[in-house]
Amino acid sequence: MRLHRIVFLLLFGVACGALSGTPAEAVDAPQNAQTGFGLEQLMAAFGQIKSAEARFMERKYLSLLNAPLESSGTLVYVAPDRLEKRTLLPKAESYVIDRGELTIEGVPGQRRRTMRIQNYPELAAFVESIRATLAGDVQTLRRFYDVRLEGSADDWKLILRPTAQRMQRAIKNITLGGSNAKLQTVEIEEADGDRSVMTVVADSP
Amino acid sequence: MSGRGRWGLLVWLTTVLACITIISRTQISTDLSAFLPRSPSPAQQVLVDQLRDGVVSRLILIAVEGEAPEKLAPLSHALAGRLRQENSFVSISNGDETGFEKSRDFLWRNRYLLSSEVTPAHFSAPELRRALENDLQLLGSPAGILVKRLLPNDPTGELLRLLDQMMGEQPPLTRDGVWFSPDEKRILLVAQTRGAGFDFDAQQLALSLIRNHFEAAKQEAGATGARLLETGPGVFSVEIRQTIKGDALRLSLIAAILVASLLLLVYRSALLVVLGLLPVATGALAGVAAVRLGFGAVNGVTLGFGVTLIGEAVDYAVYLFTQTAPGSTPEATLSRIWPTLRLGVLSSICGFGAMLFSGFSGLAELGMLSIVGLIAAVSVTRIVLPVLLPANFHAVDAMPFRRATLYLVQNAPRLRYPLAALVLLAIIFLIRQPGGPWDDDIASLSPVPQSARLLDEQLRRDVGAPDVRFVAIATAPTQEQALAKSETVAAQLQNSVTRGTIAGFDFPALYIPSRAAQQARQAALPASDVLDANLQQAVAGLPFAKGLFDPFLRDVAAAKVQPLLDRTSVGDSEIGLKLDSLLIRRGGFWVAMLPLRGVTDAAGLSNEIAGSKEDGVALLDLKEDFNRLYKSYRQEALVLALLGALAIVVLLSVFLRSLRRVYLVLTPLIAAVTMTTAVLAASGQKLSIFHMTGLLLVVAVGSNYSLFFESQSRPGEHRERTISSLALANLCTVIGFGILSFSRVPVLHGIGTTVAIGTVLSLIFSAVLIEHAAPESQLRSVAQR
Repeated sequence: MRLHRIVFLLLFGVACGALSGTPAEAVDAPQNAQTGFGLEQLMAAFGQIKSAEARFMERKYLSLLNAPLESSGTLVYVAPDRLEKRTLLPKAESYVIDRGELTIEGVPGQRRRTMRIQNYPELAAFVESIRATLAGDVQTLRRFYDVRLEGSADDWKLILRPTAQRMQRAIKNITLGGSNAKLQTVEIEEADGDRSVMTVVADSP
Repeated sequence: MSGRGRWGLLVWLTTVLACITIISRTQISTDLSAFLPRSPSPAQQVLVDQLRDGVVSRLILIAVEGEAPEKLAPLSHALAGRLRQENSFVSISNGDETGFEKSRDFLWRNRYLLSSEVTPAHFSAPELRRALENDLQLLGSPAGILVKRLLPNDPTGELLRLLDQMMGEQPPLTRDGVWFSPDEKRILLVAQTRGAGFDFDAQQLALSLIRNHFEAAKQEAGATGARLLETGPGVFSVEIRQTIKGDALRLSLIAAILVASLLLLVYRSALLVVLGLLPVATGALAGVAAVRLGFGAVNGVTLGFGVTLIGEAVDYAVYLFTQTAPGSTPEATLSRIWPTLRLGVLSSICGFGAMLFSGFSGLAELGMLSIVGLIAAVSVTRIVLPVLLPANFHAVDAMPFRRATLYLVQNAPRLRYPLAALVLLAIIFLIRQPGGPWDDDIASLSPVPQSARLLDEQLRRDVGAPDVRFVAIATAPTQEQALAKSETVAAQLQNSVTRGTIAGFDFPALYIPSRAAQQARQAALPASDVLDANLQQAVAGLPFAKGLFDPFLRDVAAAKVQPLLDRTSVGDSEIGLKLDSLLIRRGGFWVAMLPLRGVTDAAGLSNEIAGSKEDGVALLDLKEDFNRLYKSYRQEALVLALLGALAIVVLLSVFLRSLRRVYLVLTPLIAAVTMTTAVLAASGQKLSIFHMTGLLLVVAVGSNYSLFFESQSRPGEHRERTISSLALANLCTVIGFGILSFSRVPVLHGIGTTVAIGTVLSLIFSAVLIEHAAPESQLRSVAQR
């Protein structure tokens, strides 16, 4: 039965990326007294979103490769618990998180597969945090990450550092950037120096 | 005391002592396979063996509930940690990562010998190119973060493929690093015991360890409200042993007390009560000792059956006591009733004799126990009791009891037409039963109570280890051949997976391929320079860093000359345990098991496997096969019962020397058996093989009644005493078996119910049908008294 465990870990990798869009847990971000802008406000703004669609462009810088890898596609969020990342180029693949399940399609060497997110604590951290972020649930965010908020309401940076050691071994930090309740960039810094930068452009104004 | 009496006593005492000695050294087995086939097909034998001592039989599923998940998770860690210290367990899985490293390392280090994808074409330039392009996509995808660590060593993705193949059904839900039931109300642990499932002492020790450590872990984790649940074959057998022991002891005791009280009430003599129970006790001892000598051990279920002897063997003493009139002697009574008594015992033996030939060793044991028990009981009645009875003994006349019985008996014949109509109705009812009155589910034989079975199913579902129903098996003389065969079958099954007729399957060569396959894979691995050249060609134009795949070249070169894998390569890792459950040695043969998941077209699959030219390959449908087996046993039991009945008819014909008398003796029995079957069916019970055994007992006991009725059709003191002795004997029988019907063990319950109903009916029907046959004048003279 423990063999499952191995697969968990492997797929965890899959999942980490899938959720790279969002996580956050927090040490209190000091509220910016002048503007009235802080974690609470940002979360409250996110909490208003019922659904959103966006295009993304992602660039990965890996030590294995002598050129960055590019991919692009769409992101869909439906409050409170559905998230889709559909890559269209260079090859079609999709990661769909719906309630407690992650469904992966189009990954080479993997058949279409649905997995229970809860079975992978790290994955659960990602999923719950992204949902918590988009639903404006600060409590849940703080269970998984150190959260630091920088900048102002129209140009903020949310820096998330995993608190669990196991996750720290893979990921140094995740930085979300945006303007008001709009997510514009997701930057993942991995522990080994590789990094990826995703730019998000919302479809709706 | 006469010389003969002294000798009789001496022989009796010696026998009892010998029996006690034998029994004291007897192992009580609770091995359920005693109630499984003795001579099944080799394929079925594999199943039976697996049930007895396979890896499956060593699993104990543990669940803990009754506390919040936050408290249960630490409890799971604490309990698992404690149990892992114990030598009684091979492994404890609770969802944490202990022990999984070994398996992962094994797969990683040996991936080129394990992967079925390794063929010469696999490492050609075009194939490598395809693999590398896939790798690029993976790197760009969210999965990249993990894959990139494996990539330099494994660009063709062998590890991922192996893991994919080995991943079965949904794993259990994990929370805080340990397994939970889907509703998060229970933590789940799976323990594998070192002792086999049928090793009750080992299983009992394992269970008590689990319970003790649970108590300690509960305190440690501060989860005082936590409750422990366990299930699994070992748990079942331990519990069954306790249930059977408990039931047999408790019910025997209750029956003995009730029968003794009844006798005390009727005879008003403690001495008579003690003497009355002597034949029973001797019979039980002799029966158990005989089974021990004949079968090597005594099954718990058989032992439980010993209690039924109380109901039957006590009859002999009752006949003797009640039929001894004042002024007469026991010797005289015995001389008078002996022909009838002997014939009754002989016909009982015919009935039970049939069971001796049953393929159910359990039933054969029951037959042996009964025959020896009855012979011993009747011998004690014949030889020992007259010696021990006081000289001027005669049973107190329980006149009210006698009058009531006589009144009923003399009026009984009026019921003959209603009775005939009733029996006719019963026959029609039985014929019209949808699907017949038989229970075809082997589960009805299992002594495991329904509630325990439900818990087992629930926990299995929770832990994602549902009972396997379909298993393909491949048998061969050597381990290597069995592995090779499992590879052939696996290739065939892979087609079925592609077509979607099965969801997946497991097979031993997945973990340790046959040497032939490993050698073929080693041969398929290209030489270093060839691989290097292919790789250069494949990587051209792709953005991989220079020298990135050097580890891959090194690993392939190493794999090409690495020693082949065998059972010792996996040790007691998770994979080793898995292998042990899939590749087993049986006698001079090796059997590879391929459990199938999600079978949608069993018939098609069966044809396909049967159609393959491979020898020693078969598809087992565990449920169907067991049920079929069970049906064949029931069929056999039916045939044996009929043969037994035939033997009784022959016996009666020889002794009674009159067809009319045989007819008179048998009619009530046939009517009683028919009615009993109908009553059981009408009460919603499906008849199992145990009910059928019960019916056989009805004939055996009932024949005593009808014989006595028939032999004492002349009115007078003897006749009255006979009839009242029959009524008393029947009461004792009903008490004995009626108590048995309260047992939680299906076999005891089935037999108890059947015999209690059947013997009452036998007596009534004997009165109704045989009385009627007696001349009217005689009846009148009885009525006038």
